Amino acid sequence: MESIKIRKITSIWIITVLTLFVASIVLGILMRLNQGGVLQQTPITFYSNMTIHGITMIGIWFVAGMAGINYLMERYVKTSYTANLIALILTVIGVLLLWAVTLIGKFHTAWTFLYPLPLKVMWAKWATPTFLVAMSILSVGWLIWGISMMTQVLKKYSIAQAFAWQHFKKDPEVKTPPFILISMITLVGVITCLFVAVVLMALYFAEYFSGGSFVNDALLMKNLTYFFGHTIANEMLYLGLAVIYELFAEVGGRPKWKTTWYVALAWNFTLIFILTAFFHHLYMDFVQPEGFQIVGQLASYLASLPAAAVTVFSVWVAVYRVKIKWTLTNLLFFIGVAGWVIGGFGAVIDATISNNIVLHNTLWVPAHFHTYNVMGNVLFSLGFFYWFSIQFTDKLVSERFSKLILSLLIIGGAGFLLAFYIGGADSIPRRFSNYPAEFTSAKFLANFGAAFATIYLIPILILFYNITKRCLKILFSSSS
Amino acid sequence: MSKNIVFLFLLIIGFCNFAEAQTTSNALKEETNIYEKVFDVPLQVVDRQSASFDELYAQKPVILALIFTRCTGICNPFLVKLKENLQFKTQENPFQVLVVSFDSRDGISDMRRLAQNLGLEDNKQWTFATTDSISRLNQSVGFEPIWDSLRQQFDHDALLVGINKEGYITKKLIGLREQADLELLIGSVNNIFSPTYRLPNQNSLFSCFNYDPVTGKNTPGLGLLFLALPAVLTTLLLVFISYFVRRSRQKRVQLN
Repeated sequence: MESIKIRKITSIWIITVLTLFVASIVLGILMRLNQGGVLQQTPITFYSNMTIHGITMIGIWFVAGMAGINYLMERYVKTSYTANLIALILTVIGVLLLWAVTLIGKFHTAWTFLYPLPLKVMWAKWATPTFLVAMSILSVGWLIWGISMMTQVLKKYSIAQAFAWQHFKKDPEVKTPPFILISMITLVGVITCLFVAVVLMALYFAEYFSGGSFVNDALLMKNLTYFFGHTIANEMLYLGLAVIYELFAEVGGRPKWKTTWYVALAWNFTLIFILTAFFHHLYMDFVQPEGFQIVGQLASYLASLPAAAVTVFSVWVAVYRVKIKWTLTNLLFFIGVAGWVIGGFGAVIDATISNNIVLHNTLWVPAHFHTYNVMGNVLFSLGFFYWFSIQFTDKLVSERFSKLILSLLIIGGAGFLLAFYIGGADSIPRRFSNYPAEFTSAKFLANFGAAFATIYLIPILILFYNITKRCLKILFSSSS
Repeated sequence: MSKNIVFLFLLIIGFCNFAEAQTTSNALKEETNIYEKVFDVPLQVVDRQSASFDELYAQKPVILALIFTRCTGICNPFLVKLKENLQFKTQENPFQVLVVSFDSRDGISDMRRLAQNLGLEDNKQWTFATTDSISRLNQSVGFEPIWDSLRQQFDHDALLVGINKEGYITKKLIGLREQADLELLIGSVNNIFSPTYRLPNQNSLFSCFNYDPVTGKNTPGLGLLFLALPAVLTTLLLVFISYFVRRSRQKRVQLN
């Protein structure tokens, strides 16, 4: 069983994530209201807010997934509390620096910080190096955490067992739990993309401190940026899926899911596809050889197939004509899987080269990634947070209250996303702080989205209060 | 713990405040003013009738070199290199070279002497000239010489500007460049499309691909290794950890 220390540190992660989530939603709503003309922010304020909104959201839902799998991994192997603590400390320092960089230093390159933007200083002089330092701190902290967890898994399972290769034969002697398989596949992807981040930061530092004598290759920097950015944004979804594979059946009072040959095969392929799908971010870069563009499109299609198809099939089989105990946790998981799949379809549409020519840099892009985050990954993690918080208390959220929370999440989330999708289909560009009159529907859609995002915020605040209160109790309790 | 976090936070902010940013590279400078019209200045031409710039480029596309005759630095090697690179060039794609002084002290006799020193006074492809509107010309091509009163010299780039027959700037080259770059420049003033070409870069070492303008093909560059490196590192790490934990487990078993 997990130690009290792991329980307490998981509580800190949850409180931190939820606090930053609420703050980032508010920033997002302010941005949409500014686009809608209700608020008047300066462009620099808008882009600073956009930068910190993006970085925070990616960061918190990544650490939420990591904290989730770290906690559940204690069921199978002993994890390192020290690595977890180092990651927490470095994350707090990194986040504080990033908020200072954007809100005080007015750094505003967007979270993608595409080369050479961070080096074209249009903000406080200290902001660029501080941003690079903050990103390095986060990368190193998370790398230590990821490597530590991978090491613990390998202490119990061989490489072949951790990747469930023995399941390709009939009746394997050692059975790899799906949670271990998915965690391992995801951790390998996470470690790879964090190594990419380290290389990327090293190249940025080299150019920054060279005083102009060293200039990076723009194509290499863009490839590295998306290798890191795209991959980490996708891997955090898989961290959430590992949690679902572990808890979905358990919470519903059903037998645990088992690894089969097709589950093992699907997830092994996912590792390859997810590490090569980022090439679809370079479709517009005509100097990238055509072969890479084709790899990008194929990997985008194939990455969604194994994991999504197998997970959807598993969830469907688990609920179809089966009497299960529905709670807020597995309902959040269930809706999250639906949101993830819908967002995935949006992503595949955009990743198709012929469509990308039309949809590139329109609101379709935030539409699809907000779908699998707002209505997917966030719900996976909220489901885990809620499940975790009720492990140590008798007081549950009532059934009626659960229905209210879920209804508001679905209505708010769907309305918020619809405004993005319609805008994207109408070729409204993304990343505009103010829309010119030519985009006739843009302002209305922005305000429409902001209104529904506010509805989405209500259940988040209820859950924030509910979960944080319990986590604080766990944190300050003297014993188990 | 919180005290340490605050201390580290302040330390990093303090350190970063002293960091210096990079300067703009040549690669970016070459991209300015492209497809803008060059300013139509009056030209006093050596051993020929005065003409306006538009009369000149209307006859043949122009490769403009901006120099000054009292230069003790780049101007002379720059023109010598240009002459060398162009001497075996056939007239397959027509062009003319216009050498204009950006120093108001230079007169037509100074430019004539320069042409003679270079052995180009009878070469019809080369034109040497001065203008009384040099600042307008400089501005239109993005050329910014800075006067250094201590050295009594201009601090300036070795700039070649390609101008087509309509007077539009199609391409710029900064520095002493090789034949292949000049081929691209001559092609561009004749409105020949070059799909890709390498920008001058201090760090071509880390490029993903090396483009060969002669064959039009890409060959893999060192940058691709940076892309593959993280995956290789992760694989090695996985194997290393697996080996290490298995060995320590075996040792423990032996000890027990």
